Amino acid sequence: MTFWDSLIYDLFPLMWSGMITGCLYALGALGLVMIFKCSKVVNFSHGNVAGLTAFLVYGLSSGVLMSLSWGAAVLVAMLAAVAIAFLIYSIISPLVFESDLTSTIATLGFGLIAQGVTLLMFGADIVALDLPIPRFAFSVLGLLVTGYDLTVLAVAIVTIGALFIVIDYTKLGIAFRAISENPFAAEVCGLNLKSVHYFAWITAAILGVIGALLIVPTTFLSVTTVATFMLQAFAAAVIGGFASLPGALVGGVLIGVLMNLFTFYVSPEYSSTFLLGVILLALNIFPNGILQNVGGSRV
Amino acid sequence: MSEAPVSDQATHMSPDRSAMARLSGSITPGVTAGILVAVLMFMPYLLGGSWTFTLGLCFANSIGVLAVSLLVRYGGEVSIGHTFFTALGAYSVGVLDTRYGISLWASVPLALCLGVTLGLLFAWPSRNLHGIYLAVTTLALALAVPEMINNFDALTGGYEGLYVATPFIPGASMGLQRYYVALAMLVIVCFAVARLRLSRQGMALLLAKTHPAAADAFGTRRVWARISIMGISGGIGALCGATLAFSGSTVSPGGFTFWQAIFLLVGSVVSFYGLSLPRVLIGGAFVTLVPQLLSSSGAWIPVFYGLALLGMILLGHYMPRIRKAMARKSETA
Repeated sequence: MTFWDSLIYDLFPLMWSGMITGCLYALGALGLVMIFKCSKVVNFSHGNVAGLTAFLVYGLSSGVLMSLSWGAAVLVAMLAAVAIAFLIYSIISPLVFESDLTSTIATLGFGLIAQGVTLLMFGADIVALDLPIPRFAFSVLGLLVTGYDLTVLAVAIVTIGALFIVIDYTKLGIAFRAISENPFAAEVCGLNLKSVHYFAWITAAILGVIGALLIVPTTFLSVTTVATFMLQAFAAAVIGGFASLPGALVGGVLIGVLMNLFTFYVSPEYSSTFLLGVILLALNIFPNGILQNVGGSRV
Repeated sequence: MSEAPVSDQATHMSPDRSAMARLSGSITPGVTAGILVAVLMFMPYLLGGSWTFTLGLCFANSIGVLAVSLLVRYGGEVSIGHTFFTALGAYSVGVLDTRYGISLWASVPLALCLGVTLGLLFAWPSRNLHGIYLAVTTLALALAVPEMINNFDALTGGYEGLYVATPFIPGASMGLQRYYVALAMLVIVCFAVARLRLSRQGMALLLAKTHPAAADAFGTRRVWARISIMGISGGIGALCGATLAFSGSTVSPGGFTFWQAIFLLVGSVVSFYGLSLPRVLIGGAFVTLVPQLLSSSGAWIPVFYGLALLGMILLGHYMPRIRKAMARKSETA
């Protein structure tokens, strides 16, 4: 096989599928960044809570808990995610204004509880959770594009587009940006910090559910799947600087592509170690995020 | 946002004095620790073999809890990846023992050196950044540890692990050695940490955390303080691993999972980030005993840990307020 052949048969498909999963990492990372930007808390429970809601969708639609239609199950799970995010923030909100270190540690507690509840409700078994999407595939320039790819891309573009529109043009979004920029001044101007924090936490939870539901068909669903998926989201957030929403998006896609290339060309067994290396390298090369030197920060 | 210090109220939850010392003002923490050590010295003669073994593990885990607490107290930073350092220490002991028959005499110093060096290395990239970057780095570290152990199976023995059998003092009973080595290690580490608090270096580290500008003026750079405290913490973490390997007699990947790393942090929170001997013993006992007590209902372990973590954090938050309110009430009454 010549160089060009391998480029077309391996590299492009790898980059394409990496970009697709990268969009999902970006969804996870956007949630983390939203929470961090306004409340300065790193939400370590993000992955476990998203995993729990993905399991809820499975439980509600497969007959383990109930046999609803897929759409109804997702709706219930979304509501559950919103309720959980509301509950988590309500409990830690007195801590948030006192110490971001303590509240970050507290989110680990919620992560543990979410993990335990998932185990108690659904056990440690591996289950399959597919999306109700048409199965088709066509090939463009030697690139195999599946219905799943297009669904992910469409959902990601719509969700992220909607998020950016909300943050850029609505009053809530302006309040969010103001609080991220300078919480004290924003409060003096009459903004309620807590309600904006609630907005960020709940939006992040919804993004997490969407990301989890879309990532599960590529592997399977177990207690640890979504939590490990979130490591990629963390890495994406770090690459983007942890305080930049566009940075998280770029970081997510970058991580997706890099991970795919690494697992294919080097070894699939060292993926976490590779991510660790990427994080350490990214912190050294662009400590303030990948977009810092390119175009300044936007959101 | 660079240089932004992590807010540090968390580390001032309550003064670092043991509860007993506060009850009777004349007893200093040193005396309390002394009495405690004396009692623990006799424990193997009162308890059965399995409890002696478990207590040894408690001591070893206490060292790990201490390593995490030290990072919180002196560095204002949280690590959820200390299993990396414990694994480092444990496998130094395990590998030297099974491959070369070398006992703790050589492997403990090696573990300490490795722990300090790698602690410094991992703190380096996030030296100028907000504390959360270190937390995220350690998250990746914790997830990478099991992978590394299983993939270097030629050295680490993979899933099966290693069995540590070479005695520290040839001829003495192995069961008692496993207990007393752990106790001695814990006492030495606690003593060293207590001395650190009184030393100039310790003061400089604390100053760099609480008042970075003042520390700068006195010639202690915050960057160096942050890196060196991670080095010290990593070194203590490696000592914890070395002790775990010797006292627990086996080294296997099951002891260094991501959850184990979080449990160490939970132990640290449960002991209110205490650095004194009684406090870290509480943390170590929590980390060791809870999984044993709940071993029949595995799924409850994370729930219980999570609730304990939250409970202690909320207690630390509300306790001073309640106490203040009570004091005000009694003043007016």
